[in-house]
Amino acid sequence: MSENATRGEVRVFAHYDRDFEEEADVAIVGSGPSGAIVAYEVAKAGYRVLLLEEGPPFTPSDFALEGSRSMARTMREGGLRSTRGTILPTMQAIALGGGSLVNSAICVRPPDSVFERWATGFELERTNRQQLDRHYDAVGDFLGIAATPEAVLGRRNTLFREGCEVLGYSSEPIARNVRGCRGSGECFTGCRNRAKQSMDISYIPAAIRLGARVLTSLQVQEVLHEGTRVTGFRGQVAEPLTGKLSHDFRVRAKFVVMAAGCMATPVLLQRSGNLANRSKQVGENLQFHPGVAMAGFFPERTDPQFGATQGYHSLHFLEEGFKLETLWAPPAVMAVRMPGFGHPLQQTFSEFPHMAVWDAIASTHKSLGSVRARRRGLDPTLTWNMHPDDVRILARALWVLAEIFFAAGATKVMPGVNGIPEVMHSLDEAEPLRSQPLQSSDLVSGGNHAFCTTRMHGNPRRGVVDEDGLCHDLDNLYIADTGIFPQCPSVNPMYTAMALAHRQAETIVSRL
Amino acid sequence: MIVWTLLVLSGAYAAWRLALGYPKPPRSYRCLARREAAFLEAAAEALFPSGGAIPLSGREADLPGYADSFLLSLPAHLRLQVRAMFMLFEQATLFFPANGAGGRRRFSSLAPEQRVEALESWSQSRFFLRRLAFTALRAVLTMGYLGHPVAMRSVRLAPYDFVSPVCEGDLLYPRIGAHPDSIRFTQADLSKSDGTPLDLDGPVHPDYAGDTR
Repeated sequence: MSENATRGEVRVFAHYDRDFEEEADVAIVGSGPSGAIVAYEVAKAGYRVLLLEEGPPFTPSDFALEGSRSMARTMREGGLRSTRGTILPTMQAIALGGGSLVNSAICVRPPDSVFERWATGFELERTNRQQLDRHYDAVGDFLGIAATPEAVLGRRNTLFREGCEVLGYSSEPIARNVRGCRGSGECFTGCRNRAKQSMDISYIPAAIRLGARVLTSLQVQEVLHEGTRVTGFRGQVAEPLTGKLSHDFRVRAKFVVMAAGCMATPVLLQRSGNLANRSKQVGENLQFHPGVAMAGFFPERTDPQFGATQGYHSLHFLEEGFKLETLWAPPAVMAVRMPGFGHPLQQTFSEFPHMAVWDAIASTHKSLGSVRARRRGLDPTLTWNMHPDDVRILARALWVLAEIFFAAGATKVMPGVNGIPEVMHSLDEAEPLRSQPLQSSDLVSGGNHAFCTTRMHGNPRRGVVDEDGLCHDLDNLYIADTGIFPQCPSVNPMYTAMALAHRQAETIVSRL
Repeated sequence: MIVWTLLVLSGAYAAWRLALGYPKPPRSYRCLARREAAFLEAAAEALFPSGGAIPLSGREADLPGYADSFLLSLPAHLRLQVRAMFMLFEQATLFFPANGAGGRRRFSSLAPEQRVEALESWSQSRFFLRRLAFTALRAVLTMGYLGHPVAMRSVRLAPYDFVSPVCEGDLLYPRIGAHPDSIRFTQADLSKSDGTPLDLDGPVHPDYAGDTR
């Protein structure tokens, strides 16, 4: 335990009126699920922790209910980030709690097969379900991770279940880090009901209680090092929402944990003299779970605004390369996917009370990209190309979604695919989804989970970090975000990122 | 001499086409130029005409006003890209003319049916980038249109009104931009959601109760 354990605090933009320096045993960059857990666990062990976040804390009064305004406030680049190559919109949150503030709280443990692929392909010995289950359990207990209760599923979730049951496809209520969900369907704009256990209202207050110091509105710009030892980092105060930079700061620490996210951590390393990159893998291997969605319309009212945002899913097709989920978002965001314009589009909007939207996310191991620092600023240039085999996976997923919709009683579906009918009234009409060859540009897809840009590998020449997230090239720099995943995990990544962070925290504490 | 005359005439036409002859908008904007407001008015009416299944037209939804706020919320380089997109649609009739007389006029100067036809050609184009541009334009305006309180209420999707419980974080964080001294909650205010499902017919959030954004 540190002799100088500190009193916990949180600082916001209004606190900064001059340049300053700080010191800690462990300094963490990024307050998303991984960073918050490391902060809590290290503070619990009695050491001095600094948790830095560029974004501000959001209170319920700060949440914007309108989709575009919410994204502009909570996402980097106003929520308009996308890749080059295959154009794929993607997002990264900028807020205390990171993505956990604006995700749908899905917590899934990947099946053994995922870890077997990781072990054999990336020379890993301790990253498997047997070793990680203890860490999943610890995080799950803390956050109250549990299956979505029946009472708040809402009709658009139960229709998915019914369709799967008719077809014999397995499905289940999604386990989420939520306590007391009332079914407001507002996960993506921030839970006004304070039910979602996002990091800002769960792990971070608990860490502060234990002495962690949380400094928001600070943009880290460079990691400082001497030889193979990182000494800390420097940066500037960033005004919330505008990003305007002002006072300088510098932090010294015995250990530094980069938890800035798969798209920001490699940029910071590149900006810091191409740090930790003897393997030349920093910023490489970018993978996503590209997603496609389909809207279906039912004779009965679905009242889609009520119910858990993403309350049900099917892992039935995981080995084929995709996972199916229910989905809800602010109506104006859902509307963006609808075909046409004018009176027909308004007619479609008027039928929203009878609509359900379900999506598929794909494990696209063959579709790779990169993250590069731009000449100025810390936003990344993302390049990514979807492999034709992965297009086929998404097309197959759309066909299965159509099957489930019609099995559940839908009267029409809208697949949102270029070159095939915009509206289909039966499975026969949906046949082009199976028979027509599609290209990536025919699909309206999005990539919300990103991975692998500082990947874990047992061989220091082929990966950036070891199984504990320690950079192979450095003595005391850890990376704790989805960038360390060796491959996409085939299921929603937050739970695995948190379990890995929990394990990393134990290792760091053992070295203090 | 002829070359110079042609150059001057071309320059004058380009200047007129790009910036001149636009009507004064009905209200002032913080960000939008007159030409952008005119384009957005025209596009809003073509995308969301009156008389449809939603009792609100694109014009009534004040989409230029929405776009003005949206642009202000974006980082500078993205603001520039979105404005370039507006200009692209406004001027592209020079290269992709609408049918009928005057089909090469600026988008905002076309007849209503020509505007619809022009947008149709973008949305159905065999070129991916043209379709993508249309999707992006429609996305911006759809977010503004369906985010309008009248549209949201008409499809019964306005957010619910309920009181947020007070959690430990609310004792630590002020509103964005405020000083921590402004936090008024204490330990005595702490409460939790009991998980009671929301009432489908319950009141809507006050921001969506009126007829204006």
